Amino acid sequence: MNRRIAMALTGATVLLTSLAACGESGSSTSSSGSSGSESSAAGGGDTIAANLVLGGPPEFENRADGLPGLKDVYGVTFGEFRKLDAGGPLTINALKNGQIDAADIFTTDPSIAANDFVVLEDPKDLYAAQNVLPLINTAKATDGVKAVLNAVSAKLTTDDLIDLNEKVINEKQDPAAVAKQWLADKGLDAAGSQAAGTDLTVGSANFQENVILANVYAQALQAQGATVDTQLNIGSRETYMPGLQDGSIDLIPEYSGVLLQFFDPKASAVSSDDVYAALPAALPSGLSVLEQSAAQDKDAIVVTKDTADKYGLSSIADLAKAP
Amino acid sequence: MTDNVLVWLNDPQNWSGTRFTPGIGAQIAAHLLYTAIALLVAGAIAFPLGIVLGHTGRAGWLVSVANGLRSLPTVGLLILLYVMVSPLISGRGDAPYLVPTEIALVLLALPPILANTYAGVRNVPPDARDAARGMGMTGPQVLLRVELPNALPLVFSGLRSATLQVIATATIAAYVGLDGLGRYVYDGLASHQFGQMAGGAVLVAALALLVDLVLALVQRLTVSRGVSGRFSRRAAGGDGRTAAVTELTAGSGEGRERGGNDAEDSSRPVAVLAPSGKHPPG
Amino acid sequence: MTSAAGSAPWDLFGYFADHRGQVLELLWSHTWLSVLPVVIGLLVSLPIGWLARRYRWVYPSVVSVTGLLYTIPSLALFVIMPMLLGTQILDPVNVVAALTVYTVALLVRVVADGLAAVPDDVMQSATAMGLTRFQRLRKVELPLAVPVIAAGLRVATVANVSLVAIAGTIGIPELGQLFIIGFQLSVNGPYYPPIVLGIVLCVLLALVLDGLIVLGSRWATPWQRVVAAR
Repeated sequence: MNRRIAMALTGATVLLTSLAACGESGSSTSSSGSSGSESSAAGGGDTIAANLVLGGPPEFENRADGLPGLKDVYGVTFGEFRKLDAGGPLTINALKNGQIDAADIFTTDPSIAANDFVVLEDPKDLYAAQNVLPLINTAKATDGVKAVLNAVSAKLTTDDLIDLNEKVINEKQDPAAVAKQWLADKGLDAAGSQAAGTDLTVGSANFQENVILANVYAQALQAQGATVDTQLNIGSRETYMPGLQDGSIDLIPEYSGVLLQFFDPKASAVSSDDVYAALPAALPSGLSVLEQSAAQDKDAIVVTKDTADKYGLSSIADLAKAP
Repeated sequence: MTDNVLVWLNDPQNWSGTRFTPGIGAQIAAHLLYTAIALLVAGAIAFPLGIVLGHTGRAGWLVSVANGLRSLPTVGLLILLYVMVSPLISGRGDAPYLVPTEIALVLLALPPILANTYAGVRNVPPDARDAARGMGMTGPQVLLRVELPNALPLVFSGLRSATLQVIATATIAAYVGLDGLGRYVYDGLASHQFGQMAGGAVLVAALALLVDLVLALVQRLTVSRGVSGRFSRRAAGGDGRTAAVTELTAGSGEGRERGGNDAEDSSRPVAVLAPSGKHPPG
Repeated sequence: MTSAAGSAPWDLFGYFADHRGQVLELLWSHTWLSVLPVVIGLLVSLPIGWLARRYRWVYPSVVSVTGLLYTIPSLALFVIMPMLLGTQILDPVNVVAALTVYTVALLVRVVADGLAAVPDDVMQSATAMGLTRFQRLRKVELPLAVPVIAAGLRVATVANVSLVAIAGTIGIPELGQLFIIGFQLSVNGPYYPPIVLGIVLCVLLALVLDGLIVLGSRWATPWQRVVAAR
């Protein structure tokens, strides 16, 4: 009996340690994906980027303006790429705490100012314009609805976006309250009946800026007499776009460049006007965009101040230089 | 859809990996590593504790508390732990992601191992225990020579259940930026490639089954035939495949109701055979 | 309605007060997303479990298939479901269907084993009393299997509450969204209230549902109280 116990324990131990050992050896061969920066940096070549770890959303590895774009447009290849999230807490915290040296995050993120991050310039326009605009179910875009949303777009600026994000993300104010305040400040909260008689569901993606913008749209329409429902925090574009097409949502705040890319992956337009001009043809039937705002929230390659100082970085192109 | 999965699984590049993406083999290894760490830590806590509590019959409430852990939502726990831990760790490496993930997985593995070890030792037929005492065995001897061998089928059932849960749930490691097979699920989701996503899911399931098979084999080799009842086919406790008693009854805080009934009435085949007594695959 | 609450874990009460309507809505959808699969799962499992008990050769294949189903990660199942069902990806039906799969995987075996645990002499007495096979099932086997099936239901329900939260990561509104919101607001320092509130509500929900099943099971098995009282 005693012997059986001993055997069982030995068996279990052997199994578990062999699993662990197998995991260990496996993960060291895969180190380029996650850890062990030294080895890959050494083999990475003689550019600054080869010594750095980049963090970004999982799809950045294959996205046209992700790693392939960095390589083709700027000749930049990072030593490592770490899959995190789309400009969310994982990426920001990793950059802040040194798990990564550079990150793909969004230009209106209040953490950039809060942490003295340096946004690298993009002289060759790798990143297309990303003007905020309403994407709407064409059937719901009555003249009144258009007028209300166009008035919102006419007032919205990039600085507003940064300020709105700051209030929600850092000061933990409620997105609906922040939206309300913004509308009041811009004189867009007067009651009226421009959009009376329409019935819309406003959706949002699952990041705070989009939630705030959806609240802005919803409240502006409500003030003008529309009946509005909201379904916020829906997820990524892959999740909410089908909902927009089957009518479960009617309106969502979008960004011109990614929207164009989503429906036309080969699109090459980069300037605000070109992207906006290309959009109507790219959108599926039944969806349309209204006037775009001046507010932009673009992808950007961002580094910490220390890294920027250490290597003298101010543009993405600098990353391809020798250290 | 099946086509997509097959295409994905057949693509040699997915197995070899690319510059920034480990191949499937390496991801399986990473997945097993996360699993092994969690099981080792959980086992190191729950085995001794379960044996002591079962042997002394004291502090059974601790088992109920551990069972309460089952109702914790693993995603919420992972996010909570990440938010707590990550600001404290700076510098390169996986630590800010690995520490929260492993704690969440350990909390997942603890209840089945603890509950089954406890129930296993506790449910040893009293006459066997009495006979051992009557033969003049000391307390530790009774534990080592009678209680543990008799408890082994249940202990294994708990270990196997914990292993399956941890392997299925280690998928969420990728949610906080780690590797493992969950990478395919989350990457597929992010880039809208369902073949990749489903392929990852298939691999997780296959890995879980394979590891369970290995554990079943170890169980078969180590559990005394007198205990497993492999002499007589009719005995309900069954061999490795029909894992022993239930994690259900042992597990879900049924202590009160059971204590009186089943433990003494050992003639009644303990009915609730949990299918490896599962809880949530992450 | 500016959020006055701080970022500490115990500020969850303030957070709740500030977002009461939203949180209760999430709690409600979390509840039915957890309960509905258990109800459907039980209805599906009873006949299959009975078959597995009645025809011995069915049992091993049922056990293997259900064991296999249980190893599929839930997130993947949530996302694969629309392709199998032709539903929209945002449709909560996907979550219900996926969790029903897990519930059936767990309960079929429980039902079969529960029925198998009915002692032979009881069955023989029932037959001797002239009960038909269906009457025997309804009046003797199922009632006697209730405690075992209830134990299975408890595990399935508690597991579902935890699993539903995962669907929050793909945009289905339920308590899991509180984790996502808290996560997003934790960019510059941790913001605990929504995360802790979500965990607390999940645990409370699991406890309440578990308690309801225990009560239901007691109510359905009055003879057990008699035995206990003796």
